[in-house]
Amino acid sequence: MSSEPVERRVSYVLDKLRGSKCACCGSEYSTPVDYCRDCGRESFGKMQEINYFFQKGKLEVCALVEEPTNRFTKLAPFLHGTVSFGDKIRFPGRITDMIIGDEPIDLSKFEGREVVPRFRRRYSVKSHEVIPTISLAFTFADEYYPYQNYEIRKPKKEYEKPGIVGFGVYTSKFRIKEGNIERSVPFLDEDAITAAVEAGKMVLIQSGVDNTDIGKIYVGSESNPYAVKPIASKVAQVLDLGKKEDVGVRGVDAVDTEFACKAATSMFKDAAALVSYPKSKIDYALVIGSDNSQAAPRNEKGGELDFSVGYGAGAFLFGKKDVIAEIEGWYSCTSDTPDFWRRDSEPHPMHGGRFTGDPAYFKHVRHTTKKLMSELNLQPKDIKYFIAHQPNVQFPVRIAKELGFKEEQFSPGLKVSKFGNAYSGSSPIGLAATLEIANPYERILIASYGSGAGSDAYSLITTPQITEIKNRQKFTVQHQAENPFLEFVDYNTYRRLKLGI
Amino acid sequence: MISDVAIIDAGRTTFGELYETEPQKLVEQAFLDTSKKSGISRYDLKACFLSTYFLPLTNKIGAQEGFASHVMGIHVPMDPSRSFSSALSNAYNAIKAGRYDLVLVGGVEKMTDRWDKIKDDLMLLEDPISYYTGATPETNHELMLREYVKKHSIQGESFEDFNKALAHIAVKNHSNATKNENAQYRRKISVENVLEARGRRSLGTYDFAPISDGASAILLASSKVAKEYTDKPVYVYGLASATDDVSHQARDDRIGFLSTRLAIENALKMAETDKEKINLLELSDKSTMLEMISLEDLGFAERGKAWLDILKSCESGKGCYEINGKKLFVNMDGGLKANGNPLGASGGAQIYEIVKQLRGEAGERQVKEEMKYGLVSEIEGFGFKSNVTILGVDNE
Repeated sequence: MSSEPVERRVSYVLDKLRGSKCACCGSEYSTPVDYCRDCGRESFGKMQEINYFFQKGKLEVCALVEEPTNRFTKLAPFLHGTVSFGDKIRFPGRITDMIIGDEPIDLSKFEGREVVPRFRRRYSVKSHEVIPTISLAFTFADEYYPYQNYEIRKPKKEYEKPGIVGFGVYTSKFRIKEGNIERSVPFLDEDAITAAVEAGKMVLIQSGVDNTDIGKIYVGSESNPYAVKPIASKVAQVLDLGKKEDVGVRGVDAVDTEFACKAATSMFKDAAALVSYPKSKIDYALVIGSDNSQAAPRNEKGGELDFSVGYGAGAFLFGKKDVIAEIEGWYSCTSDTPDFWRRDSEPHPMHGGRFTGDPAYFKHVRHTTKKLMSELNLQPKDIKYFIAHQPNVQFPVRIAKELGFKEEQFSPGLKVSKFGNAYSGSSPIGLAATLEIANPYERILIASYGSGAGSDAYSLITTPQITEIKNRQKFTVQHQAENPFLEFVDYNTYRRLKLGI
Repeated sequence: MISDVAIIDAGRTTFGELYETEPQKLVEQAFLDTSKKSGISRYDLKACFLSTYFLPLTNKIGAQEGFASHVMGIHVPMDPSRSFSSALSNAYNAIKAGRYDLVLVGGVEKMTDRWDKIKDDLMLLEDPISYYTGATPETNHELMLREYVKKHSIQGESFEDFNKALAHIAVKNHSNATKNENAQYRRKISVENVLEARGRRSLGTYDFAPISDGASAILLASSKVAKEYTDKPVYVYGLASATDDVSHQARDDRIGFLSTRLAIENALKMAETDKEKINLLELSDKSTMLEMISLEDLGFAERGKAWLDILKSCESGKGCYEINGKKLFVNMDGGLKANGNPLGASGGAQIYEIVKQLRGEAGERQVKEEMKYGLVSEIEGFGFKSNVTILGVDNE
């Protein structure tokens, strides 16, 4: 069941839960059908596509699967059940994000509860095969991941300068806690692709931007499970980005970028430039940084990273309408400094030890921040919040202090002790955290860092419209950082989950 | 009443893990068993109707007819189908139409040859989306159980009784199988064994029919020809099948099978009888849940009440079900649970049991009550197709 055409068709339908609705009588079908069973011939050509991906379901009944079919071995034990969407539509589904131990299980505790469809890996396949995905994985709406409706809103105001229109962050509900550091750990069926989709989904929910108006998507990652095949194409398909064309494609440009941890931030200026270019016809461009940050086990070469790696994604939508933070200016720099790298087909990156500090991180972050501040004629006191890339807790604090920032300026965006280093998602998550608390007309300065090496610094100024979006997102960075449903796992479980299926 | 089509005899192999025997040899054994008494030669056969679900998968045999021809050395028309009931239906139609007057209906399955993959293979009989979401061949049985207890508000002590009632079904079937020399499991089990094996799940190992190898066969003839070979023909009075959405979730009624309810209605119509006259049943107990639900779907028990009837009957130790004052002899051979469930041959073994019982040839497990009709219910997959066959002897 994993031939490429079968895989492509199944993913196309079930990643988005595409169904059909009869324009004649309104009957709904859980899968795409050509005609309505009640209306027959009359309904040919009149079936409309609907989808259940942004709807909430209800777990009607469930069963515990302990001895699964072969491809589900690594996921077991898990709950499988019947999920209904309204009175007529029902799907089989797997409950995900649930580690089931040896404890007794009362199925009636789960039945009757609302669930949210989640985009996940479907099951294990061989490492050379296409990764099968599905959104018939569900989590309970009354736990970590709340149900949120995606409502498209008409933009109110056009700006002269481009800027951020919306943002979203996704981290998983699992954490490993060592000392004072908590780090986000993916569930078995999660990876950089699923996190990118989730972050993109959060942007749509918060901004209310019409997904078909998004003309370009960039996904920056250094843990794409594919060496060749973009994450961005999957995000575009699941979230239906760009205009639908009748030959089975969408009018969106999708591309993955790679520059270690600055793969996403590097594209902020490209996205902003694109939406500003008068002939581009692109109203919105989406940039996502997503990583299931890789690290070798502690006793192996490169294992020092295993103390700091996290999992998560940050997404930013750029445009000129209903802007919440305008881009005031930017500066980027690059030098060929291999302080952290991963050779093709190697599973884990190598870490340059003492070379990663002064000649790498500090030199580049210091330079971009100073240069941008001098170009814009800024002093630290002119800046409300400062965010630097966060490979660990020490580096961003040291550089912030060295550059003259006070704790109240850099600590709101310092999230590494909550989520770990989400690589490409690291400084974007910090930026999102400050945008959540920022008020109108505040200046935010972000300086990312990517090994290899380079840094991007941006100065942003919030607009009055930032207050409008504050209540539109329940799944905030704050919600994800402090949540009663977080589940803490031990080291061995963390390694197993990170490895995935 | 005499039907135009009759069974001359039925035969079978032992069910279980028959790892030393090739599938075509199993068909041969079943044929030899079914023709032993009548002395019918393979050269007398006008056609063969063969059933198997998974030989192409389990044994990489896609040319079943070629293998049957190879084993038997005959060149008559042969048609493969999936279930034994389907093969029987095709054979019945051909005889009724006057094309043939004596045919072999044979079924075989060799599931243990693919032990490590058979669970995945079995999902071919269910909605692929179920498979994509981690369902196993057992999951839908457990989901139906949950829907059943929810719908009928079976809670607390009643829920415990309900669980016990289902356990009794397995205990009864295992007990019946001790008297069946061909059964896969010929040992008694207790209610505690069944409950314990469930662990944290709604149903457990002892609730489900096993993975089996085996073959079964019947000789089907026009009634005229049948009488030349046997003085005890068993007539095919009614047979019907019905289908339903492959997705259990998509069905409006998820605590029973519409396909079974439609099939029994049409089979009874064809047989021109009513179910009051039927007291011998071979049900598709792929799980204890399905034996119970079949009693309801076939109309022998009231919906939502079968478990109460089962519990009462089994706790009084009568060895049969007693529902509304009527005795029902169900799965006297041990059912799919203990007799074994080699899919393509299972329906044949069910017919085998009815033939033996109606003729009074069932030995130790012979039902002593008077019986005129026997009913076979064969459910394919999780109810995407249901077959009901009504057999009988002319004792008027």
